[in-house]
Amino acid sequence: MHEVSLAESIASSLISLKKERGWERVVEVRLRIGALRQVFPEILCFAFETVTKGTELEGAELSIEDVPISFRCRDCGGCWGGDDPLCPECGSMHRETVAGNELEIESLEVEEQT
Amino acid sequence: MSKIVTLQQSIMAEDERFAAAIRESNERRGLLMVNMIGSPGCGKTTILERTAQSSGLSFGVIEGDLATNRDAERLDRLGVPVVQVNTHGGCHLEANVIEKAMESLPLDSLDVLFVENVGNLVCPAEFDLGEDFKAALLSTPEGADKPLKYPYLFSSSKVVLLTKVDLLPYLPFDMKMFSEDVKKLNPEAPVIPMNGMTGEGVEEWTKLLREKIREKKAHAR
Repeated sequence: MHEVSLAESIASSLISLKKERGWERVVEVRLRIGALRQVFPEILCFAFETVTKGTELEGAELSIEDVPISFRCRDCGGCWGGDDPLCPECGSMHRETVAGNELEIESLEVEEQT
Repeated sequence: MSKIVTLQQSIMAEDERFAAAIRESNERRGLLMVNMIGSPGCGKTTILERTAQSSGLSFGVIEGDLATNRDAERLDRLGVPVVQVNTHGGCHLEANVIEKAMESLPLDSLDVLFVENVGNLVCPAEFDLGEDFKAALLSTPEGADKPLKYPYLFSSSKVVLLTKVDLLPYLPFDMKMFSEDVKKLNPEAPVIPMNGMTGEGVEEWTKLLREKIREKKAHAR
């Protein structure tokens, strides 16, 4: 369900951008999605294909880059990746998430009007 | 000829604009907004009823459910200003819906606005509604393993309300594992044990709310 909301949101941004910038066609949409974001890539691709069918975006391909989780320690400043909740340097649990929450449209491949 | 255009914009840009507008308007009013997220039947409405009965706080509620006005009626009976939103199958609330619902509430006379999200531990956690913080609710019968199974909710909430603690003697609920798992995901979030039948825990919950309300009002513009 929530992949459908994301697909609709991507499609609606692209339709307004396409109009605004006068592109002929959107060929590819490159996304960056963090590992913390509970997104199932295959379902998102299927949802995007479904919501764009019969629209001016039909045929645009989604490609998804998975961004792994990365934490920074608030006590010693060390960075680490993966599921370990504690800082491997100093054992602190005071951390901030520096990567893994991404949910963004990184870039597009478009064809311009000739 | 095709070309590459760099965008680097959020997928939920449109939703985030609504959320930012809500945050901005709440900031002006000094109104605290709390997004309550938990499974169907975990006690979200009951905790709001107890809060209405004993906290002395003036609050409004936006109720999200797939169908019926049942939850709104329960709160309405206690004199709580409430708006019911039916999602007709939608599994979470989004900020544009909240903005509309807020128009029917007496926001200027409230200390807190609660959003009782659709019962679900997954997508409600993903959608920013413009709230100050999320409260994650888990009832003891759901099992102590849930935080690690639904990490996004538990790591992005400011507080965890553990409801139905009166049932603990009858359940194989591993409290030690539960507390450790919550701590792993979210070292700063307090866990408040609650019992909606007796009102246990409401005092601590109210204390936390009062603190947040004070901070919010102090920063009102």
